[in-house]
Amino acid sequence: MSTRRLFDIDGRTERYRSVLRENWFTYLLIMPVLLFLIVLMWLPFLQGIYMSFNEWPFGGDPTWIGAANYEFLLNWEPFYTSLKATAIFSLTTVFQLGVALAAALAVRELRRGKSFVSAAFLLSYTMPPLVIGTIWAYLLEPDFGPVFGYLTELNVLGETIYWGSSGPMSLAVVMFVTTWTFWPFMFLIISASLESIPEELYESARMYGAGPIQTFLRVTLPQLKSAILVALSIRIIWNMTKISQVLQLTNGGPGYDTSILAVLLYQFAYERGQMGVSYAIGIVLLVMTLGFVFVFIREFERASEGAGA
Amino acid sequence: MSTTGYDATGVTLKATAYGVVAFLVLANLVPFLFILSVSFMPPSEFFTDPHLVPYEPTLEAWTSGFEELRGNLVNSFLIGAGTALLALAITIPGAYAFARKEFYGKTAGFYAIISAMMFPYILLVIPIMDLWTALGVYNTIFGMILAYQVFVTPFSIWILRDFFENLPTDIEEAAQVYGCTQFTAFVRVILPLAAPGIVAVGFLAFLTGWNDFLFANLLTTGTGPVPAVPVLYGTIGGGSGERVYWGKLMAETLIIGTPPTIIYLVARNYLESAFSV
Amino acid sequence: MKQTEDTSSDTEPKQSGASSGNQNAVDASVSGNRIRLDGVRKTFNEGSVVACDDVNIEIDEGEFVVLVGPSGCGKTTTLRCIAGLEEPDRGSITVDGEDITGLKSKDRNLAFVFQSIALFPHMSVRKNIRFGLDMNTDLSSEEKRRRVEDVAETLGLSEALDRKPSALSGGQQQRVSLGRAMVMEPAAFLLDEPFSALDANLRDHMRVEVKKIQRELHTAMIFVTHDQEEAMTLGDKIVVMNNGYVQQIGTPYEIYNEPANRFVAGFIGSPSPNLVECTVERTADGIALASDFYTIPATETQAEHLESLVGETVIYGIRPEYLDLETDRGAFVADLDVVEPLGDRDAVHLSAGSTDLSAVTPQGEIARDTDRVHVDIQTEEAWLFEEDGTRIV
Repeated sequence: MSTRRLFDIDGRTERYRSVLRENWFTYLLIMPVLLFLIVLMWLPFLQGIYMSFNEWPFGGDPTWIGAANYEFLLNWEPFYTSLKATAIFSLTTVFQLGVALAAALAVRELRRGKSFVSAAFLLSYTMPPLVIGTIWAYLLEPDFGPVFGYLTELNVLGETIYWGSSGPMSLAVVMFVTTWTFWPFMFLIISASLESIPEELYESARMYGAGPIQTFLRVTLPQLKSAILVALSIRIIWNMTKISQVLQLTNGGPGYDTSILAVLLYQFAYERGQMGVSYAIGIVLLVMTLGFVFVFIREFERASEGAGA
Repeated sequence: MSTTGYDATGVTLKATAYGVVAFLVLANLVPFLFILSVSFMPPSEFFTDPHLVPYEPTLEAWTSGFEELRGNLVNSFLIGAGTALLALAITIPGAYAFARKEFYGKTAGFYAIISAMMFPYILLVIPIMDLWTALGVYNTIFGMILAYQVFVTPFSIWILRDFFENLPTDIEEAAQVYGCTQFTAFVRVILPLAAPGIVAVGFLAFLTGWNDFLFANLLTTGTGPVPAVPVLYGTIGGGSGERVYWGKLMAETLIIGTPPTIIYLVARNYLESAFSV
Repeated sequence: MKQTEDTSSDTEPKQSGASSGNQNAVDASVSGNRIRLDGVRKTFNEGSVVACDDVNIEIDEGEFVVLVGPSGCGKTTTLRCIAGLEEPDRGSITVDGEDITGLKSKDRNLAFVFQSIALFPHMSVRKNIRFGLDMNTDLSSEEKRRRVEDVAETLGLSEALDRKPSALSGGQQQRVSLGRAMVMEPAAFLLDEPFSALDANLRDHMRVEVKKIQRELHTAMIFVTHDQEEAMTLGDKIVVMNNGYVQQIGTPYEIYNEPANRFVAGFIGSPSPNLVECTVERTADGIALASDFYTIPATETQAEHLESLVGETVIYGIRPEYLDLETDRGAFVADLDVVEPLGDRDAVHLSAGSTDLSAVTPQGEIARDTDRVHVDIQTEEAWLFEEDGTRIV
């Protein structure tokens, strides 16, 4: 009897040890991920916030200056130009959504060739954005680029447009190229979600007499809601923070007319080496993007509730 | 008759759909056609009237473009491959834990990681420049690989967790009943079965490393391991159109842009299964 | 009908396994490969969900034990505890007197066959079967090959050895899964509803095959199912579980003829037995049981036990085959609802008062268009349960 008992205790301790070992193992598994996110995200982010209260030359020694960087921005005329440009530029997300939604719905109607079509769509998204920006810089070059070349040759335009010297036109060009480059991302997410809507839903909608538009509003759109939300939120943030195309096409000009906040941030860091100001801009950008995402999600919720009622 | 009415809308719908698709396909492909064409033109030719087929096609732009980029392409490749390998090494264990283990703070931890996807990365590059200088990895390939993990980790965890979660637990248990430890069961059974997800994540991570401009430009200097993408930026850099050798530039865009496209086409099925939200 | 008297001592449902288990504990190590579960308890969600509790089962070498019960009764959890896939909160599991409770499942020398089959899809059938040998033994590859091929031969899988599982039919896949277990020559096979994914004909076929294999190998087999018919046909010993507790352990005949409580009575047998609420009454002729349609006279044995329960409600249980249907006379009259052909027999569903009853008759004995029948009860075959389900007699 006593040996049995001993056995038991051995079994128990062995078991607890193994439970401990396994939990320890679990934490070991997630450790690298957490470590990386702390070292790569939170640490830099916190340091950045600290930076924005300092005069911080690249590679040099920081000096604490309180909110002076922010004060500088608020009293600096181009900052407001930049804010306005950023707000207008963010509309590109809406255009991307429009194109992506139309494309996804249209592709769904195709009998065959879906695979080729979506491959063609995604071409622009797989390449580095800077490559696409460079390509359009050539295509839209006023003197030698084919777009204005053909337009003038075919007498659609009397003479070419030097859009680079007009603020609004530069902004339009930048927004066009951004939309052209990034809509396939939304297409990808929306069409994946579209494919997963069961055919029965459409069939029953038809059985109960819903037309194509009603079907879209009452079946398709509600089913796509979360995909659209995810795609929109991600793209709002990414669009506002991708700068390579703007830099390549206009370098933020003319003046500061296309210097969206992210470009301004880049210029302060890279060209002027004023890391503190740069990060102060970053904080403004963060607040602005989060604000946009918040508003979008809220409006979307409200709109879809209205449609559902 | 209502049926004819329905058919009419049906036909209109179909026609619209095909119209939209045709327009978008052309809008996506035609620009590349022009780029391809100009990359075969001698410098004299692209300042003349626009035309699609080069009069005197030449490979000059391609050879000189390739020559110029060779070192940078090697850098890009090393950075992309390194990013993919490191990302897999970090996120496979993590994703597996999130899929299969119960631990304190699991849900919160998962969302903390996923929501990092929403974080504007441009906010990180400035402090990372500073940190990397302090750590001595500024202007090194390793520093770049490390920095890209911040882009890659969240979506890798997301995709891989879904993959692991969808593998039946029974299979893993069967492996354990028949003699595997947790670890050997993972290596012998789970990893092979999750291969599609792992391949997808690997490719996406490679693309991230290959395609990025921001970190590539800010974390390297001319003397360091500059990848291919930032080189393109230098070439126009606000300069006037006349001084730019457009043919070579366009050849270079295609040289840089083709590998990701090929990878995408090869890995498409994996990527699509990974992307279904 | 055989009356097995000795089971009546096991009327306390939760204790039935434990009492016999304790008597035999001393000589546990004498016979080979005896598996014992002592007071096993397993909860989930930090104790809020009790999957099984106080499970005491003893399995002899070469015995075919079936755990049966409705879904969620804890049978699969019990099996998984034995396999080491779950860690019991309390209690111990011993094989041959050796405590294996804390061991990893790979170190238990037990083979598990999964409900979902759980073959490794990326390996050939050969590799699947050989998997355990590769992982857990250091046999020569020649020996492994021989064992795998022997097993494949037994299971009729020789042709399929180099195919992938996905190329096999459901029945073949389950055979591979069995083969993967057999090749290990384990102390016991644990099977978790292995045939529930197969269609009915194949299931019957596989049942016979498994039973045959078990007889040949003379290895203990613990088989989980929710299908009481499967349990009856397969088991040397049946363990009926409900709500996490063992209700009764016994041979198929014991379980069928002498259910320990109302749950077991209702769960085993098809069509289900009639369980009628009655009030115990004292009449001129002695004790009787009044239901809403008929007052059933108690037999002498029943009357003895009911003396103290006059005025109380009891459950009167009687299998459908002990209701005799007559066309002209009988103890009471019932409306005929449906006649359900079962092959050689018909199940006849009746209603008497507000009570539904079923009876079984030889094929075609009661015409389908009959409206009313007279019913006699073979009262000596009836069971009586207290209102809470405990068996009285």
